[in-house]
Amino acid sequence: MAHTNKPEALRLGITIFIFLAVLTVLEFVIAIALNALPLLVVVALTKAGLVVYYYMHIYKLQDESGGEHDSYAYKTGTNRLGLWLFLLSDSFVFGGLLVSRFNLLGFTRPHLNQILGLGVTVVLLVSSFFMNRAESMMAHGDKKGFLTSTLITIILGAGFVIGVVGVEWQLAAAEGIRASSLVDGGIFYMMTGMHAFHVLTGVIFLWIVYRNARKDVYSAERHWGVEAATVYWHFVDVVWIFFYPALYLIGSVI
Amino acid sequence: MKKFYNSALARGLLWQLIGTLIGAGLVTGIRALMGLEALGRFGFSEPAWVFGGLVGTLAFLGGNGVVSDWIKWARGIPTHDHHEDPPGWEKFINVSLDHKVIGIQYTLTAIIVLGLGGTFAMIFRTELAASGLQFLNGTQYNTMMGLHGIVMIVAILLGIAGMMNYLVPLLIGAADMAFPRLNAFSFWITIPAAIWLVSSLFLGGFDTGWTGYPPLSARAPVGMQMFFLAVFVVGWSSILGGLNLLATVARMRARGMTSFRLPIFVWASIATSLISLTATQLIGLSFQMVMFQRLFGMGFFDPAKGGNPVLFQHLFWFYSHPAVYVFILPGLGIISELLPVFVRKPLFGYRWVAMSSLGIALVGFLVWAHHMFTSGMNEYLRVPFMYSTLLVAVPTGVKFFSWVATLWGGKITVPTPMLFVLGGIVVFLMGGLTGPPNATVSTDLHLHDTYFIVGHFHDTMFGGFIFPFFAAIYYWFPKATGRRMNEFLGKVHFWLMTPAFLVMTFGMMRIGLLGMRRRISDYDAALGFDTTHLVLTVAGFLIFTSVLVFVYNLFRSMKKGEAAAGNLWNSRSPEWLVPSPMPAHNYDRPFEVVGEPYDYGLPGSKFVEFAKDK
Ligand SMILES: [Cu+2]
Repeated sequence: MAHTNKPEALRLGITIFIFLAVLTVLEFVIAIALNALPLLVVVALTKAGLVVYYYMHIYKLQDESGGEHDSYAYKTGTNRLGLWLFLLSDSFVFGGLLVSRFNLLGFTRPHLNQILGLGVTVVLLVSSFFMNRAESMMAHGDKKGFLTSTLITIILGAGFVIGVVGVEWQLAAAEGIRASSLVDGGIFYMMTGMHAFHVLTGVIFLWIVYRNARKDVYSAERHWGVEAATVYWHFVDVVWIFFYPALYLIGSVI
Repeated sequence: MKKFYNSALARGLLWQLIGTLIGAGLVTGIRALMGLEALGRFGFSEPAWVFGGLVGTLAFLGGNGVVSDWIKWARGIPTHDHHEDPPGWEKFINVSLDHKVIGIQYTLTAIIVLGLGGTFAMIFRTELAASGLQFLNGTQYNTMMGLHGIVMIVAILLGIAGMMNYLVPLLIGAADMAFPRLNAFSFWITIPAAIWLVSSLFLGGFDTGWTGYPPLSARAPVGMQMFFLAVFVVGWSSILGGLNLLATVARMRARGMTSFRLPIFVWASIATSLISLTATQLIGLSFQMVMFQRLFGMGFFDPAKGGNPVLFQHLFWFYSHPAVYVFILPGLGIISELLPVFVRKPLFGYRWVAMSSLGIALVGFLVWAHHMFTSGMNEYLRVPFMYSTLLVAVPTGVKFFSWVATLWGGKITVPTPMLFVLGGIVVFLMGGLTGPPNATVSTDLHLHDTYFIVGHFHDTMFGGFIFPFFAAIYYWFPKATGRRMNEFLGKVHFWLMTPAFLVMTFGMMRIGLLGMRRRISDYDAALGFDTTHLVLTVAGFLIFTSVLVFVYNLFRSMKKGEAAAGNLWNSRSPEWLVPSPMPAHNYDRPFEVVGEPYDYGLPGSKFVEFAKDK
């Protein structure tokens, strides 16, 4: 988004966030009222598409960063390709988990706390909004705004991990869903655990970027570290866009 | 010796030991405090071994310094783009960022690991020479056989990584790989993994074979966990290596090197890397799920808890079938790469050959369940998987037609590399022709789990990897060292290995058809297989001996080989147009691609043109 000015970029971020929020509510209502699987899939794909395009800027892969192979712009292009290849690889792990979930549980799901599930989903969604905001601030040279938005993202990310591992896991265990009980417990802990592990690495990544930004390592023109952390963070959000309905919304409770 | 003690390798190993003890000690302490059983049959308890193994692996990487630049970046400290390597041999046991050094590190490690896997094979092959149990018990036999399988797979992964690392940047005119630190990282993580793999021998072994199927793997000794951990770590090496290669080819090519002027080996490497980048995650996931089932009692593959053991096989083969193409595509690329040089004719059907690698890789994603015709999976899956598997024969056939047509009417010379190329074609043809009977459901129900399969896949692995790997070493050895390997010893190697190998695999297929089951330590003398098994064992030892000849030749030629600084094979490829050994930062002057890569024998044709100055 190098060509847009700052208010425009921020406004776009807000618009996308509103779309995502509305779709999440819609998803929840569809699941409660209709239990229509195809609709849920369409909503999830739409949400993921919005994030991948507007927040992760996948189109930047096509950027013509010609010129010297030694230039920062060209190297950033190479780094960007490397990161996306990594995300492609990583998505096979999550894909494999989804396949396992549907193979083992079919159209049933564990009995989980719906309010909490929606709550952590909203926390992660809001964190994505601030992450996007932080990146546009950096791209427009607003260091102070970048630091504030990144800090909020980190806090929300940590909140998500605590919500899932610290609260949800305890509640589920109290309901009798344990790792060593029936296989729905195994699947639940494996999926949420793998995702929470990625959120945790994202938080650490953001914390590193936050510290480096305070040391003025980045500038409006040269901030590959920030871009990488941002894209990774949104990727973790995309994973949850599929994991949330797979665990909480699709199928009937066992 | 002092150089060894000061090397990154020695530091890494020391830290691996320390890290393992700390990790395992921590878990042991926690278990003692929680009132759980603190110690197990092998000193530490199983969770302590697994956690210790994980910490030890990370400690190796921290201790040997391969991640130190990344740590500096994380702390906001800039680093140099290039590192200078010391001039002597010690650069090979230290962290280097030079793709050529890393390529040689991979290749040498591959040869060592190949020797290890061969030794395991010799041990259990000796046991099989006669019916009855002579000197191994059941678990020892199973562990030897399982380790032979997985150690060879690791050796092959290291071998192709060695070839791709050394060759691809040279072939496309890049100064290095796209991510040199990631490249070094991908190599060094295989060292702790190799140690965990072998450690399983001393931790009770494992009796599942290399496939690690539950439910057996869910209750095998601790060695099983170390096997899973090791394969998981090697998998990451493969994933990151594939990522690096794809980025390198996409971003670092010389001017004028459009997609249909890429050398065939580069096309093969792209296809291989696409598979290792993506599918490897699923074998990692399946192994991780069994590890967790053992550690935390999760019920994924335990029917008593609603789990499904067949799910494991789906996840496992989703990687492990395409993995076969990871093993063979680079080798088939080497064959297509070298053939025109020794035939002095253009490669027949360049575009078709380039696309056939991608075709094999993509179709390969849709065939995995042909390993599961007898597993009890849903029957309606059998026929689609049969047809998708048979479809692989089409792009593979394209390669054979291209090779035969390239050979046709050429001015063929047969030095050692070309001998191995021709041997590879013949052996791979045997492997290819024995494939369709296994892909066809009706015949596979009979052949499954017999020595026919063992013969078939040894043919594909030797034809697709071992022969081309040796060809590549004999061919590019002068590029790396400025000397050539001894021709006479090279021919001894070939003529000892090839007949012995063909006898071995045909013998395996013969008794397989007659009902000899694979993976078993003993057989009934009344079956009448004793003589054939004795012949197989003798043939196995001949192959082993021939590889010893190769290793002797390799090390002798490094010091005493005949000097060969110029374009020894009269190749058109850019790396041969500059003197050997290759300078540290590759080409002093960049080149531009101005013609087709394989137009051998066409007057006035030119592939690359070097710039007049920097
Ligand atoms: Cu297969």
